[in-house]
Amino acid sequence: MIRTQTSPIGMLGRTLKYLALALLGLWMVLPFFWMISASLMTSQEIQRLPPPFLPAVAQFQNYVEVAKVVPMARAYANSLLVTIFSVAGILFTSSLCGFAFAKYQFPGRDVIFLLILASMMIPFFVILIPVFYIVKQFGWINNYAGVVVPGMVSAYGIFLMRQFIQDIPDELLDAARIDGASEFRIYWQIIIPLSGAALATLGSFNFVTIWNSFLWPLLILQSRDLWTVPLALNSLRTFGAEARVLNLQMAGTALSVIPALIGFLFLQRYFVRGISLTGLKG
Amino acid sequence: MADRPSATSPVLAREVARPIPQPRSRLGRHRALWAYIFISPAILALLLFALGPILFTFWVSVHDWNLIAPIPDMPFVGLENYRYILTKDATFQQALRNTFIFTILGVGANTVLGLLGALLLNSPIRARAIWRSIFFLPILTAPLALGMMWTALLNKNYGLVNEILGVFHIPPQPFLSNPDQALPSIILIAIYQYVGYYIILYTAGLQGIPQEYYDAAAVDGANKWQTFWSITLPLLRPVLLFIIVTNTIGALQVFDIVFAATTGGAETSGGGPAGSTMVVVLHMYNTAFKFFRMGRATAMATILFAIIFIITLIQLRLLRQRE
Repeated sequence: MIRTQTSPIGMLGRTLKYLALALLGLWMVLPFFWMISASLMTSQEIQRLPPPFLPAVAQFQNYVEVAKVVPMARAYANSLLVTIFSVAGILFTSSLCGFAFAKYQFPGRDVIFLLILASMMIPFFVILIPVFYIVKQFGWINNYAGVVVPGMVSAYGIFLMRQFIQDIPDELLDAARIDGASEFRIYWQIIIPLSGAALATLGSFNFVTIWNSFLWPLLILQSRDLWTVPLALNSLRTFGAEARVLNLQMAGTALSVIPALIGFLFLQRYFVRGISLTGLKG
Repeated sequence: MADRPSATSPVLAREVARPIPQPRSRLGRHRALWAYIFISPAILALLLFALGPILFTFWVSVHDWNLIAPIPDMPFVGLENYRYILTKDATFQQALRNTFIFTILGVGANTVLGLLGALLLNSPIRARAIWRSIFFLPILTAPLALGMMWTALLNKNYGLVNEILGVFHIPPQPFLSNPDQALPSIILIAIYQYVGYYIILYTAGLQGIPQEYYDAAAVDGANKWQTFWSITLPLLRPVLLFIIVTNTIGALQVFDIVFAATTGGAETSGGGPAGSTMVVVLHMYNTAFKFFRMGRATAMATILFAIIFIITLIQLRLLRQRE
């Protein structure tokens, strides 16, 4: 798009470009760098004025210490459980429902689809109180189900899957029907294997969003045993507002970032596409 | 539910207009039955956890309710909740004002910064993959964790930001602990958190501009600056509009960062100091789950939703004009 030139102006432009990149990049990275550094400091170091930029000796035991203050291992297991079940639920309901809207003709289809589109416009905070009440009526406060079940359906996911499945040729489906395959088997053995890219797109950004979600689990998972990683972090935060435990807080923060980071490294392409298709925000 | 989709993306608008191919089958009734079975889990869940609840929100907002009293016993109060929060609840008015300031400045700054970032990342640079990953780091991180990080970074005594300012002989700033600086600090955290989203969205837009336009401009001898103003920017207009509207809708719902940076310690309700960072969703959360005034809380939700709805309608209108 912009041709590299060897003229003095081109050189200047390139220097400015890398300077701007470096400044923006430094701004992005420095907080994370400091987080890691602070997480490895002793309690004394972090309270020193002015604070050091690096610990004298890296205190890796801070990461063990965190697990003594809050149930970090348990929180990890809880977060994984909640996230995996929610994402699996979203992938299943979205692909099944999207398949029906893409490949079947049935009375009321267009009206129902409009309802789904309409529900995409509802921000979560608007329905927070009613959904909390419903979940409470089901007895799902302090229960994984209270977090997982209401999050198992995504109107946007249905829309994305319908859009994708429409492009799968009908001939494949008809051939399977001639061979005697049931409609569910067509879904399971033809549609699902061909929808890998769409499922990865839907799955990767939902994974990050659900892993990081805070407000809803805060309301539902009140007992310590059920805390997800952000809830454990929140408890670390309120455990001591003092600088004394800042190293532990930062160790906890670092631990919370890792899974999303690993997921991103593997599914970067899909994650980015998920955002660029919709402008979703977590 | 976990995601906040935008019903107004250009992709979506195009898709809605696209006719659905009609299956050519004589086994229509049998297949229709299967289709109903396939859609039923999703439809039931949407009715129960999205469409039903929104009606329930409107219903509760004209009643007095504490979440515990049986629903048939809720006293009807008409528009009293709306009257109260709009005329008597100073915190709500402050929250509404702060939310608007947060949204306008945060979205405004990132609309410019995101474009700059996207242009930089899309120009020929070395190690693009590494730069990209660096810019996406904050959007992968839980807003709560970012809020905690920045609370420490902005601390008056031991924060890194004040240490850096010290290098330039600027005295330590109180940031989050000062009523005048707290909201700008929150906006700064939000800019940091979301700039990666804007970069992704702009990148998609930039890649949608046909190379031929740039080739033609090069033939005409246009410089980079002219190319940017007369090709890139005008062709980016619909994307720009989409970015501004979706992010405005997202920003109006800010909660996690403010919660992380202002609650705990002495200020149990958050939004401090002196309410200078109180935002609508946080005040709604407090009203509902600390004071159990569900009527008032749902009235707040309804008002913010109405604002978001109007913004959505404006975008749909603008998108249609384009076509």
